Amino acid sequence: MKLSRVFLLALSCFIFSILLLQSCYSVRIRSEQGAYEPAVPLTRDDYYRPMALIELDTVITIGATSKDFTLLIKKSELCPSAKLHTIEYRNTLGSVLLSAITLGRKRKVKIKYVCMKEDPN
Amino acid sequence: MARTTKLTLKKWDTLHSNGPFPLKILYKTKLEGSGTMPSKLDRYNDAANEIQRLIKETHNQNEGFRAYGSAWSMSNIAHQKDRMHFNSHMNLRSNFKDQDLHALSSYRADNIFLLQCGNTIKEISEFLEEHGKSLKTTGASNGQTIAGCISTGVHGSALGIGSVQDYVVGINLIIGPNPGDIVYLERHTKPALNDVFVQKIKARVIRNDGLFNAALVGLGAFGFIHGVVIEAQNLFLLKRYVKKIDATVALQLAETLDFKNSTFKINGETDSDGNAKTPYHYKVFINQYSKDDNNYVVECIYKKPYVQSYPDPFPIIKESLYGDLINLIIRISEKFPKAIPAFVKSLEKSILPKVNEETTGTLAETFWDAPYQGPAFACSFGVNHKDSVKALKLLADLTKSKGPIPGIFAMRFIKQSQATLSFAKFPVTCMIEIDGVLWKKSKKLIGLKEFSTLMIKELKENDIPFTIHWGKNADWGFPNLVEHMYGDQAKIWKTYRSALLSKEMQKLFSNGFLKTTKLSSEENEIPEDFIASLA
Repeated sequence: MKLSRVFLLALSCFIFSILLLQSCYSVRIRSEQGAYEPAVPLTRDDYYRPMALIELDTVITIGATSKDFTLLIKKSELCPSAKLHTIEYRNTLGSVLLSAITLGRKRKVKIKYVCMKEDPN
Repeated sequence: MARTTKLTLKKWDTLHSNGPFPLKILYKTKLEGSGTMPSKLDRYNDAANEIQRLIKETHNQNEGFRAYGSAWSMSNIAHQKDRMHFNSHMNLRSNFKDQDLHALSSYRADNIFLLQCGNTIKEISEFLEEHGKSLKTTGASNGQTIAGCISTGVHGSALGIGSVQDYVVGINLIIGPNPGDIVYLERHTKPALNDVFVQKIKARVIRNDGLFNAALVGLGAFGFIHGVVIEAQNLFLLKRYVKKIDATVALQLAETLDFKNSTFKINGETDSDGNAKTPYHYKVFINQYSKDDNNYVVECIYKKPYVQSYPDPFPIIKESLYGDLINLIIRISEKFPKAIPAFVKSLEKSILPKVNEETTGTLAETFWDAPYQGPAFACSFGVNHKDSVKALKLLADLTKSKGPIPGIFAMRFIKQSQATLSFAKFPVTCMIEIDGVLWKKSKKLIGLKEFSTLMIKELKENDIPFTIHWGKNADWGFPNLVEHMYGDQAKIWKTYRSALLSKEMQKLFSNGFLKTTKLSSEENEIPEDFIASLA
């Protein structure tokens, strides 16, 4: 009896881990056209090494009457064009649970994005 | 006014992590906004003033100054230990009208374009496409800046075109902080723009073939390249095929470039007599560790007229390898070098293009974005294509006997360049390159520097004349290397440099790479009228 409980617990942990891993993923969307805003100096060691990367990791709160939420990309030092070149969003089990528990009022936003290089022409 | 941000740093590195190298100050200049300065020419000239201010500031501190673009070079050619300038945000571009042309110009106004130094190949290609034009050739990707390309001799494998510098028809240099230190160079035998235009960019013109050819692959030593004038051509398409063919045939083609009489034919790429057409581009991939050395993968690209509708090439072009996996395996390989051949073999499918792959696209689409794939090395030797098979065998055998080395060989072919120090110095130069993942020397594994030295020795001992790609890894301190490769041309190059730049500015625009290669030294005997404007 004890053995089967341990087995069930282990199986549950295993299934939960699999779910956790499967629910944690990222998707990258990149424009076919346009040059990215370059990074200077080069400090990263990943896919974004040559790019001026902006990372956003926050929780947004949606009003009870709002249907959706729009995050605006504004001009900044790292994003002088305010136009998108690449965006990567990450989904995790935690963010799904947060949204579910709060009935969609709180949403985890974990994104990386790179802007188009400023075109002075 | 153009604005410069001044960063105080301790180190700087290339994109491919070939450093780090020490650095004191990094400048990055952004142009004045078009809202406050609508004229492009005004903003171009304003940027020139700002660069002159930075040169003066550097000179006052008795320090060195060097511009760089995308930092793609793997050698330390772009590095200066004192002050470096990041050019990328100087990316104005414009076209010309008939009234801008020199009276003796053989160029069409709608084919020539002014590009500020920080424009990347991708930006330029998109700009040209809006005008129905294309670059004639590029490297295998599109992230390099135009100034970086010509300074180091970036090339593709276009048999009849040459390197990026070979379609440059004018160079605008800033050679010091004073009035008169902005110059515009052209060939006197092939002028492009008239003096009225040159005055608009506040420059003094020097039309002189010798000076132009020396400055063309200038290694960053001829001053700050502010802009270049290039000749483009009408937009065209490239049909790309990847085939696995008999190694003997692939190498015979490398040695002879006689496609017409070759047994290698691609359906649809033959003439009316059934003979194979000569491709626009020919590249051979060689895995020196492969047991199947009877067959090689080759990439053949044929030029086609532009049409608006063709199959989307991107699903195939965008395929690439995830870099972190390579890095993980290479760390393992440093401890277990015997695993490298198997590692290279296992990555073959990812590194090499897929056999029987076919795409159609513009030049810009075919040689699209290369994703960053982790620290990398590349050694690239230029030899006469007639020596290519012998040279490849020597280098591949060396890699097997002294290695293993975590890289794979390829051969590309480029037409001779007129640039004084172009590594494309043979009638057709075969660039034999080994590209791979940067590794650390260990007790069991030879270091990159030692491997580079051995490659030079091997070619020298076998009397194969060679050159080395300026932007790639090599033992640049090898005794008399540049003299061996270029003979009198190296002295001629230095003499033109000394004739154009003041002593102070020769020092300011020098760096460790030039000192190592003995190209920074001043030439004192300069013939009269050596850099006179001749047209």
